[in-house]
Amino acid sequence: MKAAQAKAGRRSMSISRLTWINVAKDLRLEWRSRDVLNSMLFFSLLVVVIFSFAFSPTAEESRRMVGGLVWTAFLFSTIMALNQSWARELRNGVLDAYRVSPAPAEALFFGKCLGNFILVMLLECLMAPLFVVFYNLSSVGPLWQLAVIAVLGTWALVVNGTFFAAMSIRTRNRELMLPLLLLPISIPAVVAMVTATTDVLTGDFSPMSQIKFLAGYCVIFTTACFLLFQTVLNAE
Amino acid sequence: MRSRIFFVLLMITLGLLGWGTYQALVVAPPEATMGDAQRIFYYHVPAATAASILFWCNFAASLWYLWKRSPVADAMAVTGAEVGVVFFSVVLISGPIWARYAWGTFWVWDARLTTSLILWLLYVSYLVLRNSSEVGSTSVLAASLAVFAALDMPIVYMSNRWFRTSHPQPMIGTPNLNPEMQKVLLWNMLAFCLFALMIAWFRYELERISQKINHLHIQKAAHGSMAMALPLMFFFADDKLLREKMVQHHYMVAGYVAVWTIYIGYLLFLMRKLARLKKEEAELRAG
Repeated sequence: MKAAQAKAGRRSMSISRLTWINVAKDLRLEWRSRDVLNSMLFFSLLVVVIFSFAFSPTAEESRRMVGGLVWTAFLFSTIMALNQSWARELRNGVLDAYRVSPAPAEALFFGKCLGNFILVMLLECLMAPLFVVFYNLSSVGPLWQLAVIAVLGTWALVVNGTFFAAMSIRTRNRELMLPLLLLPISIPAVVAMVTATTDVLTGDFSPMSQIKFLAGYCVIFTTACFLLFQTVLNAE
Repeated sequence: MRSRIFFVLLMITLGLLGWGTYQALVVAPPEATMGDAQRIFYYHVPAATAASILFWCNFAASLWYLWKRSPVADAMAVTGAEVGVVFFSVVLISGPIWARYAWGTFWVWDARLTTSLILWLLYVSYLVLRNSSEVGSTSVLAASLAVFAALDMPIVYMSNRWFRTSHPQPMIGTPNLNPEMQKVLLWNMLAFCLFALMIAWFRYELERISQKINHLHIQKAAHGSMAMALPLMFFFADDKLLREKMVQHHYMVAGYVAVWTIYIGYLLFLMRKLARLKKEEAELRAG
């Protein structure tokens, strides 16, 4: 009787609720250990410092190069976070548990994506003042465009990244595989993010075509990830 | 029966390759400004055509695999990607050799070149994934990646559409191409597409054997051949000292040597693999 009730209760659980449970679990784990966020922050900080030593740019030069720099730093720290997020589940056998549970795999995927997205956005918010200070930055174009680019760009990285991280933990050399798979697929998005950021910072061109392109990229790849995630999770 | 068809087709292909090479090197008129160096065009373009056909086969076979989980589809997918990467390596090596003469530099970050490089990277990463994933999940993971790779290509082209390209535009059927050159190009295209088909067939049979003895062992196709052909690029650093005609001729020879090194290297690689698989099969049956 009790089991039947529990089963009914599980069935009635909506995807949004399951997703939220996943996000909350990930964020709670991260809050308790702070492994990922700390290493991401420290890594981005190192990138900022090393690049400013390597190039020592003037304010005008830094406007042109900081778009590429920011996204390189975020891209590589995102890869760090993504590797961790699935490795944890593998260690504790959560993936096998998920395979036998009736909960839809999409909820797990969406939860992971959202969790990583929140982490990376947090990192970006914390790092943005540092970039401004170290590179003596001031934007010529409107700031709200930068926010839109950050949201779309981060989502583009995170959604593909979460998918390919799930794929790469199935391989022998786990952490090494993720950049090999993710970077070629992400090149068009990275080009669009960098170009759009540079366009806003220098104010030379309108970034709108790049922003539209990024939005299209997000829609296409989010759809593809959702359609194929179940297959990848259950691949045997 | 099957092997007889294979043999006949192989003879036709070899004949056509010889005829095409003769046409390209002897019959085709020399180009007005680039002379002999332009003859690289006669296998650069056919290799690109063959490679794109093979990549489409990889996509179609991957979808088929995801739908039906048939090992035949899996063998076709790996064939398409691996042979495609080999042909595309030919494109990426013969192109820069020509460009060194025509533009004075091996590489520019032109839209067409960039997209080609990304395409090549995507399929190399596909082969790397196949090579290193756990036995059993390889085919499914690889098929999913193939779908992403095929989705990425139109997007890459879109993202590059606002760049001006210095790569020559497609010329078949336009008045820009000398009709005699076009004829030679079409002969070569036929020859190289057949050649690709033959190699693909060979590779497919290999994959089926390897599936049958349950010993998937896919290796990166481009790795070895790239390493062999790369030193050739640095061979022509001080061409200013030589006479122009000789220089053009050297570029042509370098292009041909590089390309055939890749093709023959890949074939030798397949032969060795076949010998190894046969031995393994014999051992398994004897034991």
